[in-house]
Amino acid sequence: MTDQPSNESRRDVGPEREAGGEPNPEGMSRRSFLRTSAVFGTGLAALAAGLAPLLDVKNFPSLQQFMQKYYKEMTPEEMAVVLKRIENEVERQYGIRPHVRDLKPMDGVEFVYCLNLTRCIGCRKCVHACVAENNQSRSPEIQYIRVLQMENGSLDMEKAVHDYDPAKVPEKGHFYMPVQCQQCKNPPCVKVCPVHATWQEPDGITVIDYDWCIGCRYCEAACPYWARRFNFAKPSIPKDRINPEMDYLSNRPRSQGVMEKCHFCLQRTRAGRYPACVEVCPTGTRKFGNILDPNSEVSYILKTKKVFIQLKEELGTSPRFFYYFDV
Amino acid sequence: MKDSTKTSIVMYALAVVFLVLAGAFLSRGWGQTPALQPIPLVDSEFLKTATVRTSYAELVSSKADLSDFDCYGCHEKGKPPILRFDEKHNLIVPEEHKDIVMGHGRNNRNNLCTNCHDENNLELFQTRDGRELKFSESTELCGSCHGPTYRDWAAGAHGRTSGYWNREMGPITRKDCVSCHNPHSPKFPGRQPAPPPHTLRPLNKPAHEGEREGEHEGEHEGKHD
Amino acid sequence: MIRRIQTAVRNYCVFLGRCARIAFVGDWRYYAWMGVLTVISLLGLNAYCRQFADGLVVTGMCDQVSWGVYIANFTFLVGVAAAAVMMVIPVYIYDNEELHDLVIFGELLAVAAIIMCLAFVTVDLGRPDRFWHLIPGIGQLNFPASMLSWDVIVLNGYLLLNVYICGYLLICRYQNKKPAVWFYIPFVFIAIVWAVSIHTVTAFLYVGLGGRPFWNQAIIGPRFLASAFTAGPALIILALQVIRSVTQYHISDKALLTLRGIVQVSMIINVFLLMCEVFTEFYAGGLHIASSKYLYLGLHGYHALVPWIWTAITFNLTAMVLLVLPVSRSLKWLNLTCVLCITGIWIEKGMGLVIPGFIPTPLGQIVEYSPSINETLVCFGIWAFGLLCYTVFLRMSVPILQGELSMANERRGTVPR
Repeated sequence: MTDQPSNESRRDVGPEREAGGEPNPEGMSRRSFLRTSAVFGTGLAALAAGLAPLLDVKNFPSLQQFMQKYYKEMTPEEMAVVLKRIENEVERQYGIRPHVRDLKPMDGVEFVYCLNLTRCIGCRKCVHACVAENNQSRSPEIQYIRVLQMENGSLDMEKAVHDYDPAKVPEKGHFYMPVQCQQCKNPPCVKVCPVHATWQEPDGITVIDYDWCIGCRYCEAACPYWARRFNFAKPSIPKDRINPEMDYLSNRPRSQGVMEKCHFCLQRTRAGRYPACVEVCPTGTRKFGNILDPNSEVSYILKTKKVFIQLKEELGTSPRFFYYFDV
Repeated sequence: MKDSTKTSIVMYALAVVFLVLAGAFLSRGWGQTPALQPIPLVDSEFLKTATVRTSYAELVSSKADLSDFDCYGCHEKGKPPILRFDEKHNLIVPEEHKDIVMGHGRNNRNNLCTNCHDENNLELFQTRDGRELKFSESTELCGSCHGPTYRDWAAGAHGRTSGYWNREMGPITRKDCVSCHNPHSPKFPGRQPAPPPHTLRPLNKPAHEGEREGEHEGEHEGKHD
Repeated sequence: MIRRIQTAVRNYCVFLGRCARIAFVGDWRYYAWMGVLTVISLLGLNAYCRQFADGLVVTGMCDQVSWGVYIANFTFLVGVAAAAVMMVIPVYIYDNEELHDLVIFGELLAVAAIIMCLAFVTVDLGRPDRFWHLIPGIGQLNFPASMLSWDVIVLNGYLLLNVYICGYLLICRYQNKKPAVWFYIPFVFIAIVWAVSIHTVTAFLYVGLGGRPFWNQAIIGPRFLASAFTAGPALIILALQVIRSVTQYHISDKALLTLRGIVQVSMIINVFLLMCEVFTEFYAGGLHIASSKYLYLGLHGYHALVPWIWTAITFNLTAMVLLVLPVSRSLKWLNLTCVLCITGIWIEKGMGLVIPGFIPTPLGQIVEYSPSINETLVCFGIWAFGLLCYTVFLRMSVPILQGELSMANERRGTVPR
């Protein structure tokens, strides 16, 4: 496709270049050298100055943190080292020595949550009990539970109000529906995570390895219940409200740039206790337990109540969260 | 103009621009992260797990002052108290018990002391089917009328459950009816909700939100501190 | 045998060295262009450093709208990368000799576009320092369940494929050797299929999410391809004219008009698919069309994207009409049409696809999105860097194709700088 020879020789391009546009191997003239080094020098200065904000990086990961293994591949000894590191870090940052564990799921346990929509009054105590128990960031605000003020007779979420703030709840003509991670049996978030940072444990809880998550937020896009939260900034937790009873997969302080969500308070539930939201609910709306135990209250509810709602059932996620009414 | 002169001009101009850029970067004149809105911490009232009331059984076990329950400190034994009604047949609560507001059931249909209290022995309850119950057995009294709710309560589905879901690892805590419900006016009064959530980005609510009714315009600054 | 390998390696190093040197040499227009691009890239780099330090709070994203312009640009550019290989089809399948060399320009555009895609995805990550978690074998790549894992594999594979094909063809031309058929023709055909796959996999990222009814539709895949094959060749038409005017490389109008044909058909299909989508959503209605209502009409008083999408539709329809009429055979009108195509499809596929998927949220909340200054600077920076790469690629390849940079005029005994 090349036809006539280049026209460049007709233009005075200076002694330092030839017809092909290549630099003259005999060397550049002083003029050319001066201007080239001027550009290069100032360019490098601009590059170095441009990188200046990196000096503000707090908590740059150490080599040990960078190379930390995936949760499921760590031996108990490696996990002990990691838990120690976390305890040291929390003590350094917040001034209190936490107790960080790695509780394993119990055999013969599958957690299920039942929520009585006749009883919820929308007081949002569950939201804040969860925030306190699980060391969530106060600013930017992260709350795992979102209470929706719905209109009587309809589950249309477009009509839901998120920021209701009347003098007294409940308001007439409305019912209240708190939504949090539904710990689906067929979780879309687990399917889409590119690095297996989130997975479902045998007791039904979908967990996140905060040290493995790369922060792509694909799971947040995939969740049909808007249950997952991202740390857009470094979480800010007030020192006097830290909960020192922590677990690796649940409520230890997270870093900037990773996902988090409701994990059924596994630091409590895997030790046999109720989650914080169940404990604080003033009307007894929230019921939690082991569905594989026929004597649990959740088994009773699922056996005796007539009307159940699994949110967005048609999507096939099989949530472990059952909303019901007293009939 | 010779090409090489034009090149020189361009390159020196570029060097100046780079220098200015370096200075601009170091001076951090733009792109600074805006300070996050200060969100006040939630009032610790909202974090408390205690019930609003204390049942008689809890008072006994915590060895609290039971003088309120000493009926025959004022009443005479063997003399049933006299109930007075107004012209609409509504019960008039006597002055000594003015802290009791009667509101048990709609349309005042249960506003009669002797529906629950035994007028011959004020320290006992009486059920419709003739059982006599102590003050610490008030839950049985409620259950004698509220069957389905009592059944749910017994299974753990009504009312609060706290403590351990795994009974092998620890005890579950159940509450009596009167720990939450005022027996004379059992329907819960409304309460102030905890503050609404704060979004990271401004909501910029439009002036007219179309189909949504009952919503306040503009962003809530919150009535809570 | 060893001597042959040694010579081959030495020759390759000399070739690379000369290519690298020539990238820094040009006339005043070249320096001005590269200078501007460098300045914008540095602005973008600085903005990204701020984001790396302070977190993604410096962008306009939030939990309600968790993907923004970064992923919008990524989606658009994957389409450009896929379509750049479209030129391959007329050349290799229809044996169009005219376009032979132009294939290299198309594939170099694909390489630059993929570099930009990878950059956009990296700046979108919350923890880019954990990129190694994505490497299969070392990390925990969730293949085949996660479509993002497929995307990682196909995009990097496509990059390697194109770099290999262009590199091989260029070094053969440099050494004045006829390229061996088996070393590149099979890869070219693989690249054609792979190009379709990279864009389909990117479409499936969105389609596979059942919780977002705006995306969970079969038409998204075909729409992606149709819009990619409109915007990609349109970009190439413009790029080729630039090459034609700043270098002495001869590009015939016939080549441009062949590309116009591709853009014409693709745009018609694109508009048809848009009509299919609009009908499907609005004829039956229902709760699941909330996002479409937000995009085209506004929802509950929120209407930030409505002027954008209608501008895009106007551009696309105008472009389609112009493409169908013979007036777009004239370069002036063709260039205008290409600009309309590129802009219209950038809006439609970028902001018009990614953002409405998040509004309203699955719980019915509406929080609108607009990119922050920092975010915008990073985007401009990456685009400038991509153009920088593409200019460098052209600066190296055009002299090779013209025969000005060839083994024959290597200076013996020169110390490569």
